[in-house]
Amino acid sequence: MEYLDLENVKSEKVNPLIKEKLKQHKTITLQHVNSMHNICAGLSGECEVIIEDSTGLYTGSYMEGPRIVVKGNVGWYAGDDMMAGQLIIEKNTGCNVGAYICGGDIVIYGNTGSRVGYGMKGGNIVVAGSAGRWAAQMAMGGNLIVLGEMGSEIGESMYAGKIFTRDKNAAEKMGRNVFYDEITDEEASQLTALFETYGLEACASQFHVIRPALSGRHKYVLFQPELKPELAKKYLNRKG
Amino acid sequence: MMEMDSNWSKETLSEIDYKARNGKYRIRGCASPRKLPTFDDLMILPGQMTRMPIDTYREKCETRTVLGGRYATRPLIIETPVMIAGMSYGALSKEAKIALAKATQKVGTVISNGEGGILPEELENSYRQSVQILASRMGFSRRNLEVADMLEVLYGIGAKPGLSGHLMGEKISPEIAQIRQIPIGIDLHSHPRAGDSFGADDMVVKMQQLRELTNWETPIFCKIAAARVKEDVKIAVKLGFDGIILDGCQGGTGAAPVMAADHLGIPSMPALVQAVKAMEEMGVKEEMSLIISGGIKDGADLAKALAIGADAVAIGTGAMVAMGCRVCMNCQSGKCSFGIGTQDPDLRKKLNIEEAADKVANYIKAITEEAVLLAKAAGKTKLKNLEREDLRSVTLEACAMTGIPLMGSDLVIGEGFGFTANSGI
Repeated sequence: MEYLDLENVKSEKVNPLIKEKLKQHKTITLQHVNSMHNICAGLSGECEVIIEDSTGLYTGSYMEGPRIVVKGNVGWYAGDDMMAGQLIIEKNTGCNVGAYICGGDIVIYGNTGSRVGYGMKGGNIVVAGSAGRWAAQMAMGGNLIVLGEMGSEIGESMYAGKIFTRDKNAAEKMGRNVFYDEITDEEASQLTALFETYGLEACASQFHVIRPALSGRHKYVLFQPELKPELAKKYLNRKG
Repeated sequence: MMEMDSNWSKETLSEIDYKARNGKYRIRGCASPRKLPTFDDLMILPGQMTRMPIDTYREKCETRTVLGGRYATRPLIIETPVMIAGMSYGALSKEAKIALAKATQKVGTVISNGEGGILPEELENSYRQSVQILASRMGFSRRNLEVADMLEVLYGIGAKPGLSGHLMGEKISPEIAQIRQIPIGIDLHSHPRAGDSFGADDMVVKMQQLRELTNWETPIFCKIAAARVKEDVKIAVKLGFDGIILDGCQGGTGAAPVMAADHLGIPSMPALVQAVKAMEEMGVKEEMSLIISGGIKDGADLAKALAIGADAVAIGTGAMVAMGCRVCMNCQSGKCSFGIGTQDPDLRKKLNIEEAADKVANYIKAITEEAVLLAKAAGKTKLKNLEREDLRSVTLEACAMTGIPLMGSDLVIGEGFGFTANSGI
């Protein structure tokens, strides 16, 4: 195993150093990352990077091909605009993980924050723990799979893509423009394969799917003010 | 019947009728028809005895423009300081986008792709390609970064600042749906905020990411709508952008709520003044590029914008008019009779790409020549040498807004702009 100690390396020097190291070794381990940002951003090719501690923002963003394993926690926006590869996070993450992901797999063994998979367009995001609110908001493709509990406004304004959930209250926590549906056999097989790949113990048949409602057109005013004249009657009573 | 100029004009009555019928606000294309301050409120001082004019017909005046060289190692070099503003494939037809791209090839300038991905034919035909990084990221991937000669991180547009993109279902054809990665025929209200940076602090880190992805080569601009210009510009400077595209509220769009177009933002001219002041205060005016857009229509606007301190202008509606658009303000319907703002296959046939490309190229050449004519009259051998001292305000309002003296006097009201403020009225 080849190690790269980043204890005394400035943030802007980290990715060039990683790329240099990967020219000679297919797998490297990063030590003392100390939550630095942009770790492995834009990294390409078939290689493996193991990170012994935690990372900051944008971990593995725009990456295309590598397998990155983070042993600790990960900050916001990990895997943003990711193209291909695997981003494996063994603990928890901040918010907006997998924003705009185009392809590849992001697997979070802990919990994740709000807006996981914001605007995602492809790939798979698997969350073994729970996910915060606004999951897969305005997604345009891909699969978000959450094994634990989900926050409110699930799938708000999704255009395409799927959210797989076994949260029993998911149907009451959905955002607008989505509906709660049964999982198909084909989808269940895909999920089972993913669970096997990443060593997750879960039964695909327990999952439901939240899908975007594509049948109708939005109204121009998506969020109209709710005017409730009946509630205003109390003021009449006071006057009387 | 009320008078046209009363508070209850024909347009106001029509607006109220619409709202009464439908219980919702109206969407409209193009820019606001409101009368707002423009560059016409300024005049250029020609050289006479104080300085020598340059021969209009026999002496040269440099128009080549370098943009975005603050940190990027491969700045953008264009032949005229007039670029084509971001107008999406979706709002515009494929034919219109190709014609605009071809026009840039003929005059040597840059075109911005607008929202919703890059049309491959636009990329093939453009002289230089600017690529927008929008909150929606529709049709966007790492591949787009690789082909860009210039990047624009988009925060807002002048026609509807603070709002996200609108593309009505009439224009979401199968082809548009495919390139944008969205379903056919829906009314699109795109993502309001970037999901990969929730504020300036994150953007500091994001900028490092973008620099690494582009190997520090490609100029990175931000595009902002004119709002709290001084503060926004200062943040953009701190974030390390190579330049700023500032879009005044006279900017057009394919679809915007009437309220937004008419009542959000500030006009291009005063916005530009504030941006220049902010950049000068930060000591970056010489190193950072500034592009102004929103209502630019002729060489006088171009010359005055450069004199105030812009490095270039971006044109949108003007280029569409050159192709044949008559500003009917019905772009949102997708029924453009000129084949420009439509996805209807029959209507699209009405736009001849080659003719349209020639007209846009001619228009850009002509307005560049107009600006050159004015610059030479003011004694400049380079367009970029136009300066605010060459300007005078026509109206008291323009004088107060710009800090440029009122014509025929040395009077400056309010804050001076390189001139000594003298508001002793």
